[in-house]
Amino acid sequence: MDLLTGLFSTAFLAGGVLALAALGEVLAERVGVVNLGAEGLMAMGAITAIATVTATPYPMLGFLAALVVGALFGMVFAAATVWLRANQVLCGLALTLMGTGLASTIGRSYSGMPARAVFERIEIPLLSQLPILGKALFSQNILVYLIYIILPVALHYLLFKTRHGLNLRAVGENPAAADAAGIPVNAIRFAYVTAGSALAAGAGAYLTLAFVPSWSDGVVAGRGWIAVALVIFAGYRPIPAVMSGLLFGLITALGFVGQARGWPVAPAVLSMLPYLGTIALIIVPVLAWQRMRRVMAAPAALGEPYFRDVR
Amino acid sequence: MNDTTPSLPLPPGTPPLVQLKGIAKYFPGVIANQDVDLDVMPGEIHALLGENGAGKSTLMNILTGIYRPNAGEIIIDGYAKEFASPLDAIAAGIGMVHQHFKLVQAFTVAENIHLGWDKTPKRASAQKLEARTAELAAKFNLQVRPGARINELSTGEQQRVEILRVLAREARVLILDEPTAVLTPAEARELFKALREFRNRGNAVIFISHKLDEVLEISDRITILRGGRKIATEQAEDCNPRSLAKQMVGRDIVLADMRQRPVGAAPISSEPVLRLDTVSALGETGLSALHGVTLDVFAGEIIGIAGVAGNGQRELSQVLTGIRAPSSGRILIDGKPVARANAADFVEMGIGHIPEDRLHSGLAPALSVTINAVMREYKKPPVTTAGLYRPGAATTLAKDIAGVADVAVPDFGMPIRNLSGGNQQRLVARREMRIANKVLVAAYPSRGLDVGAINTMLKYIVELRDAGAGIVLISEELEELLNLSDRIAVLYEGKIMGVIDNDKVDIDEIGLLMGGRQQTKEVA
Amino acid sequence: MLSGLRLQRLPSAHPGIALGARVAAILLALLLASIVLEISGAAPLELGVQVISATFGSTYGIEDLCLLLIPLLMTGLAVAVGQQIGAWNIGAEGQFYAGAFSATAIGLFVPGPEILILPLMFIAGAVGGMIWILVPTLARAYAGVNELITTLLLNFVAALMVYYVSTGPWRDRVGMSNSATPRVKAEIPEFWGLVHWGLPLGVLMAIGFALVLSYSKWGYEVRLSGSNPSAAKYAGIPVRRHIITVMLLSGMVAGIAGMFEIAGTVHRLQGGISNNFGYLGIMVAVLARNSCVGVIFSAALMALILNAGIILQTQGLTTSAVLAITGLILFLTAIGDELAHYRITRIKI
Repeated sequence: MDLLTGLFSTAFLAGGVLALAALGEVLAERVGVVNLGAEGLMAMGAITAIATVTATPYPMLGFLAALVVGALFGMVFAAATVWLRANQVLCGLALTLMGTGLASTIGRSYSGMPARAVFERIEIPLLSQLPILGKALFSQNILVYLIYIILPVALHYLLFKTRHGLNLRAVGENPAAADAAGIPVNAIRFAYVTAGSALAAGAGAYLTLAFVPSWSDGVVAGRGWIAVALVIFAGYRPIPAVMSGLLFGLITALGFVGQARGWPVAPAVLSMLPYLGTIALIIVPVLAWQRMRRVMAAPAALGEPYFRDVR
Repeated sequence: MNDTTPSLPLPPGTPPLVQLKGIAKYFPGVIANQDVDLDVMPGEIHALLGENGAGKSTLMNILTGIYRPNAGEIIIDGYAKEFASPLDAIAAGIGMVHQHFKLVQAFTVAENIHLGWDKTPKRASAQKLEARTAELAAKFNLQVRPGARINELSTGEQQRVEILRVLAREARVLILDEPTAVLTPAEARELFKALREFRNRGNAVIFISHKLDEVLEISDRITILRGGRKIATEQAEDCNPRSLAKQMVGRDIVLADMRQRPVGAAPISSEPVLRLDTVSALGETGLSALHGVTLDVFAGEIIGIAGVAGNGQRELSQVLTGIRAPSSGRILIDGKPVARANAADFVEMGIGHIPEDRLHSGLAPALSVTINAVMREYKKPPVTTAGLYRPGAATTLAKDIAGVADVAVPDFGMPIRNLSGGNQQRLVARREMRIANKVLVAAYPSRGLDVGAINTMLKYIVELRDAGAGIVLISEELEELLNLSDRIAVLYEGKIMGVIDNDKVDIDEIGLLMGGRQQTKEVA
Repeated sequence: MLSGLRLQRLPSAHPGIALGARVAAILLALLLASIVLEISGAAPLELGVQVISATFGSTYGIEDLCLLLIPLLMTGLAVAVGQQIGAWNIGAEGQFYAGAFSATAIGLFVPGPEILILPLMFIAGAVGGMIWILVPTLARAYAGVNELITTLLLNFVAALMVYYVSTGPWRDRVGMSNSATPRVKAEIPEFWGLVHWGLPLGVLMAIGFALVLSYSKWGYEVRLSGSNPSAAKYAGIPVRRHIITVMLLSGMVAGIAGMFEIAGTVHRLQGGISNNFGYLGIMVAVLARNSCVGVIFSAALMALILNAGIILQTQGLTTSAVLAITGLILFLTAIGDELAHYRITRIKI
């Protein structure tokens, strides 16, 4: 493969982790709940997938198992933040600590082993013959198609072109208004926080079954946090979120290329690029364009618990 | 302008559209409603009258399914109903336009109209929603712009959106909570016309207000609440303002003419103590909020600022107190221009500020009563000496303020949000009046207070004036302004439309100015 | 009559009840952890006894505990200080590394007597921590960018940086290990047994901050700005200036923590030098309700938990498990904090 195709191929593959996690976070934040547990959910999803696949060699089963585990943890988180209305930041941090710690503990027996079964490439006929994009996007595993094509389009349609999407966005903007309009605020928050958590865990499964593909301690390496930051940068919209994931995939791919080609930069420094890049992405647009602040505005009630029967 | 159309004659035995029996609702430390009965017949406009804190909004929140009652029944069309959520109330034909609109600011008019509505098509693109909105607007004869975002609309327009939303859901009972607070007199008349049309079609309106004249003008029957209980239900034609006021408050209240100066009161100064000279300023969003405002504040005088909320009052009070720097123009204090806006400096110079949302910007709710009480004087001895903050001295000062404000504080170290809203406001007001020896800028000082507390507050303001301070009184209650001010300035879209001597005032003229029409004759 | 009981939410939780909720959260978390241990075959009671005897049974055990207490106290203080102005400094971990890095740089490459080098290392650690929080601070102060994520992402960068130098340019080429630097000669003198002067210094810093916050004009302004920035602006307080000062101080404290760890405890810079101290510091601050004096006590508790994890490593328990239990404590504390607002009242009809 020539350089450009190889670069993009890796970019799509690497970016898929961030894109899927970002999509999950978009769902949660659109209904007004900031889920800082993404990192822990990814870790749990990653180890669940590896454990499942070690037991039965079907990667799709591993992915689904991760989704279920993510949903379960998500429900616990939602119960605390939506029903009991505990502080979302603290609960999210707690979820990250719990998820990361638990995954590390379980993962000791799986460390370093390559995944017993991974997601294989599926070439899409015709489209995979396109120059560059053909090999880069259309000759990937099935999850890539899900993450870059099916999900963002479906979620965009859901959020912005349906009645249900209108209602759920209202929950994130002004839960009191949504409540007065008869929308079940808590039920919607609970449902989408759970769904978002499932997707975050799915991103972890993608990490260990399609990208790396294996488990090791600390394999998530902050990707969950980057995904949370990307959602801010993407203005809480599904398609830009996925594009930002791809952008990150590109930065990561550049790092790999640099290492492979012996660029005179230490590998550790190349590894720093994604984090430094994310910080730049959050800060620079806000500084550069004042108007950006309004365009990228968060749902107005993000992070606030909703109390109906309280003066 | 009195309505001459009689309410519809009803066939005998018609059940009330809405009946509330024995409703009770409690909050921590407060009985919001106790043993309240209410019945509303089809084809009537029924007013719910009471002062702030009487329990009117709570009662309506119960009727619309937002609160669950602690006791009592709700009966619609003769059938007992339980409203587990607002959806049930909407299904029963109850619709409410709240005092603080329940609109999503970032959404368009069309999106807000279609929120949570099962008649909204499942595939809802922006064009489809806007087309349907235009149809609805035409059907109910309400002017709205379907594609505009709510945060771009005036409050009057926003109210129309709320009303359209409620009517579209086929409400038969329309509840309005203090609707004229955000309207000019002309807009209020339009609203009343629409309400009468609604009533004449056999529907009912519940009109919540604390304004006696308005209530007498629009309603067929009036129910008075006081202290969470129902006092009486009367036919409007049997009432007059005096009797209603007495029932609302529970005793005879005498409204003194506050403009009279007692002997020995400070005279109005010849030179202004605070002057804005063609000041313009930007608002929070970066858009222009004040345009070329010239305003003089004289010592020993009250100048009232009239106008519908949202026309620059917030920025005006911020500029007058140094919180916001003007983008052009000068501010002069005692004739000397102020170099840079700095709220702390303005405080030093004796300018106090009772802010509009005092519970949010005038206080830190999570911090103790003491910390909040000394917010204006913490830099000076005895609270701070040589950079050291003395909690003991601070508490003494706080106790002083609380004593004068007549607020009982069980523990000065507890978070101030544990006190009731009214008590918090009294503390803020007293705190400001202590330092306001030159000017006091009071924004909506009576908001959220009951009649007794309002009277006390206005008395203090008058005392301050008599002691020689200049008062800027920003209010949406024309009655209050007329009762207190020596001059009245009208603010519209950030411009002073005119400044009128209270002796020569004409309500219709003020109404016109509030609505943006130019002054016909210049009065100093 | 049961029908006369109602659940009401108060605007503020009574401090006594909030404290009780915390204690309950910790006990419940430990209980749940014990249950999990029981299920997975370990015997929690025996393990508990083992921990207690190993910790308190010998001076050695208590010294170990104190050595863990120092960094936890400092990072906890750093987070608590940040919270005074309303900032979430999740980057204490990275600032710790940055402080350790700077202190090591001085310690390894600047010649001189210990009496000169130690203070220089202290300053380097403090400055290192401040530099590490500088960009997030400025972004927050001037662009309103939430500091939570910016400080956190820098943690990873700092860890990579330390890993890189300790296995690369600064690697100890003489000794056995190839993933740590040579031993830094300057050492903080011992205070009691193995415990160095970092402990009393840390405690003094905590008390110092508490005093300044409660008894100075600056402290008043900071507390007001942290609680309600609009009220602070209304009072004419320069909020932005205070945000910058306090956040830099927060970073400084975490950086000093790193310096203490290098010069007092481990004496070498290496990849895993921080035992997640930065993240546990968040827990310490939360448990102490962001009180600068309270962190002394919650750090002691956290040190006990962390120490237990280390002791139990021989039994197969990893520090990751400790991290998970800490997360559980945080989770239950957050829930408890909210539930502490509720009370059951009797309604008089």
